[in-house]
Amino acid sequence: MERRDFLKISAVAGATAALEGCGNPDHQLIRFVPEEDLIPGIATWKPSICTLCPAGCGLLVRVMAGEAEVVRNGQLGLLKMGLAKKLEGNPAHPINQGKLCPRGQAGLQVTYHPDRIKGPLVRTGRRGSGQFREVGWDEATKQLVQKLSELKASKQEGGLAFVTAPLRGQRKTIIDTFVASFKGLTSIEFAFFDDSVIRAANAASFGHALPPTVDIGTSNYVISFGADFLGTWNSPVAQSLGFGHMRKGRPGQRGKFVQFEQRISQTGASADEWIPVEPGAEGMLALSLAHVIIAENKQLATAAGHAGSLIEGWSLGLPDYAPEKVAAQVGVKPETIARIAREAAAQDPAVALIGDAAVAHTNGLFNALAVNALSALLGSVGKPGGILFASGSSAKPPAASLQSWASEVSSGATAVDVLLLYNANPVFAAPAEWGVQRALEKVPFIASFGSFIDETSALADLILPDHSPLESWLEDTPVSGSAKTVVSVAPPAMNPLHNTRAMADVLLDAAHQLGGDFAKTLPWKTYEEAIQASFAALYKEKGSKTAKDADEFWKKAQEQGGWWSTEPSQVAAVISAGTAVKNSAPQFSGDSSQYPYHFLPFASQLLYDGSLAHLPWMQEVPDPLSTAMWGTWVEINPRTAEKLMIQQGDLVEVVSPNGKLRAPALVSPGIAPDVIAMPVGQGHQNFTRYATGRGANPISILAPANVEGTGSLAWAATRVKLSRVGRGKLILFGGSLSESSPELKHR
Amino acid sequence: MAHQWGMAIDLDRCNGCEACVVACHAENNISTVGEEQAALSRAKHWIRVERYYEGEFPDVRVKFTPVLCQQCDAAPCEPVCPTFASYHTSEGLNGQVYNRCIGTRYCANACPYVVRYFNFYNPIWEKPLQLQLNPDVSVREEGVMEKCTFCVQRIKAREIQAAAEKRELRDGEIQPACVQSCPTRAMVFGDLGDPESEVSRLARSSRATKLLGELGTRPKVNYLPRDSWHDSENA
Repeated sequence: MERRDFLKISAVAGATAALEGCGNPDHQLIRFVPEEDLIPGIATWKPSICTLCPAGCGLLVRVMAGEAEVVRNGQLGLLKMGLAKKLEGNPAHPINQGKLCPRGQAGLQVTYHPDRIKGPLVRTGRRGSGQFREVGWDEATKQLVQKLSELKASKQEGGLAFVTAPLRGQRKTIIDTFVASFKGLTSIEFAFFDDSVIRAANAASFGHALPPTVDIGTSNYVISFGADFLGTWNSPVAQSLGFGHMRKGRPGQRGKFVQFEQRISQTGASADEWIPVEPGAEGMLALSLAHVIIAENKQLATAAGHAGSLIEGWSLGLPDYAPEKVAAQVGVKPETIARIAREAAAQDPAVALIGDAAVAHTNGLFNALAVNALSALLGSVGKPGGILFASGSSAKPPAASLQSWASEVSSGATAVDVLLLYNANPVFAAPAEWGVQRALEKVPFIASFGSFIDETSALADLILPDHSPLESWLEDTPVSGSAKTVVSVAPPAMNPLHNTRAMADVLLDAAHQLGGDFAKTLPWKTYEEAIQASFAALYKEKGSKTAKDADEFWKKAQEQGGWWSTEPSQVAAVISAGTAVKNSAPQFSGDSSQYPYHFLPFASQLLYDGSLAHLPWMQEVPDPLSTAMWGTWVEINPRTAEKLMIQQGDLVEVVSPNGKLRAPALVSPGIAPDVIAMPVGQGHQNFTRYATGRGANPISILAPANVEGTGSLAWAATRVKLSRVGRGKLILFGGSLSESSPELKHR
Repeated sequence: MAHQWGMAIDLDRCNGCEACVVACHAENNISTVGEEQAALSRAKHWIRVERYYEGEFPDVRVKFTPVLCQQCDAAPCEPVCPTFASYHTSEGLNGQVYNRCIGTRYCANACPYVVRYFNFYNPIWEKPLQLQLNPDVSVREEGVMEKCTFCVQRIKAREIQAAAEKRELRDGEIQPACVQSCPTRAMVFGDLGDPESEVSRLARSSRATKLLGELGTRPKVNYLPRDSWHDSENA
């Protein structure tokens, strides 16, 4: 028996004996000497960074003294410590300017989650059984180093794989350097909603392999093709700030916003004009708009420059895309196309953007190139009110795709001895057809740096839990959302609650124990040192008007939450000649006679890609459009529902060529009759007490189709059929006014 | 004259994102009730985003309206309370004194805005979620009605600070949690007793309307409805 266990048991036994049922054993905990100077009741505000989506918003954390149960040196006790109490946007941060989205607000619950992994774990049961034994950091690191040194000695190519969420900054540098020295694959970055199609399109059209920074605030006309830019796409808080300004921030001037999509998204709900378009026809529609603008001499075809020249038939004025020729395929009336084109051409600046399902068809890259050409024709690229490209991190596309890696490993073509996992849950977030789970089962040793047991880390042999973001050093180099160069940094906002260590620190420690070249390639002892080194380099490169030396620069950046340029910056475009592309019709998996409906997964405003389904706030906040809580649903048009004799709340079975799932039906007028939609996020089999066994996961039934010309998943390219199977459970928020609109009419 | 706290919500900016809802949960120690209780309509959201669908596909529109306590000057919730738990404060708020509340729920019956929430059970924060609690806001127990306070703890903190610094409060200095978070700056909070304040300016705007104003409740939240785009205006 360990000392702490003995103490705990004797404390409990003592309390029970003395008080017989009315004593709380917690009160028997010892108290540690506080590690910080704290004034009770007085809040301090510390900068931090939101890590819950790729936008990279700046935070201010309200920290107040409180009492937490913590383990120090293997001993459980009470510690008076600074605790994060509320997250706000950092007003000085150029991306979110003091504002924050609902997901960012809920970041607190990541730190205080009851199911966080409290210290290193070693698997004891069979894989996936969830049986682990708590170990100390010395033993855990030793096990990692031993596996890695065995691998190093074997000199085997590709023996190490590192699967992460898309990363930026020094964490990426450390991981890439580390993996490269093993002759391993470059790190595999994976997220369900990734931006690689848009990056590829922007690289071809504009020479920037970056997501766009859309200056909505000063635009007069915004055409969005499927992008949920006010909810989950790209940099939603920055774009929402712009949206508010476009609407009511300029007295006497109000921009118009047109949304084309198949289902009213939270963003589409705010459009001045919401127009349904056939799935995958977004590029064709954009070129039809361009056709009208060129044909009516509102703009010369040459105005679109390189972006236009990439589209076949552009210089001839896109004769094949006349509205009356494409109307049937696009599903938009020719007169509507012509009117929108004329309105947009008459407004300056006008901008077009594309995202989400519109680039997740097999022809998604073409759609994105077409919309880029339209934006260029409207003359808004690189100008206020249009699309800008901020300089950010180097924009190398990842070399290996998870899909090909998984198929190589599961087929035995590639042998991987050690797999490291960080902030990615591919078993949940990749289609079952990719065989990620089968691949993982073939890897003899898996270590995860995750803070929670999820579908992927449940397969790990060793878990080395990272701090929560609020407990950790953080840095980020957001690539969109502001025209300024932004390099965010933040020291820990609070001390760790549990026996956790930063992933980068563990990796650096392992590297130094392994020896060899690492002393040169990874010279830093800690993650903090690595970040400081990057700021020293930044000071050398950019200089500073206010800081006298690199140390002061570093100190100021920490106080402010980062460094940002005073002026907008633009990276120079590197345009390589490209060959003209022509429209390719979107391909859908599943025969339309057998599978009559398009299946449209969409990002949940609260659960995002499912990575936030473990937060009770996110589960209980009603979805903006359905008010659904604590579950998932299948969205169906009333006409479709009537035809299939499905009523609101009925349990329906959705069948694709690749799988099936069951969920309650939500009958909504905001969806096309031949489309059924489902939010991504629920359907976790193993993700804490709040998310496990709740709802169904639409990703699981997706066909493994790719966006042509990229390795990205075409997640909107699956067809399904559906039928009623019984009564389901659909929880909608009850406390609301009557369903009819109250008298809020514009006079 | 005492402040008269009020709010203006510009629905032409609001995009229904729910940031206000989560900000309110975090600031005001609102407990989650879990799936079972939520299914019985017992979830508590002091502010919620209403959405209204109009028309049929393809000519369908959605409008969002965030609804919180309207802090009525003629509040139907106040006179019905037998224990004076619901009362009108000198600064115009519809106060709720939790330790006077005996849970008759008359106030929730009387409120036409459905913004009062009853604690059917004691709140549960599974350890260590209790560490997120805001020490400035009391936790409500079983049998007690709770509601939006316009973040009275933030109002008081700023009033005390301004008094200590011997100065007047600045317009915009006080931001309830929902207002502070709102990514589109759709919400404005301030003193309706000060004609120069931004909230007063918006309340006087020709666009301003009240929610269910015809009931005579004299709400202090002003809604500025969704606008529309006119080509001629901009051309």
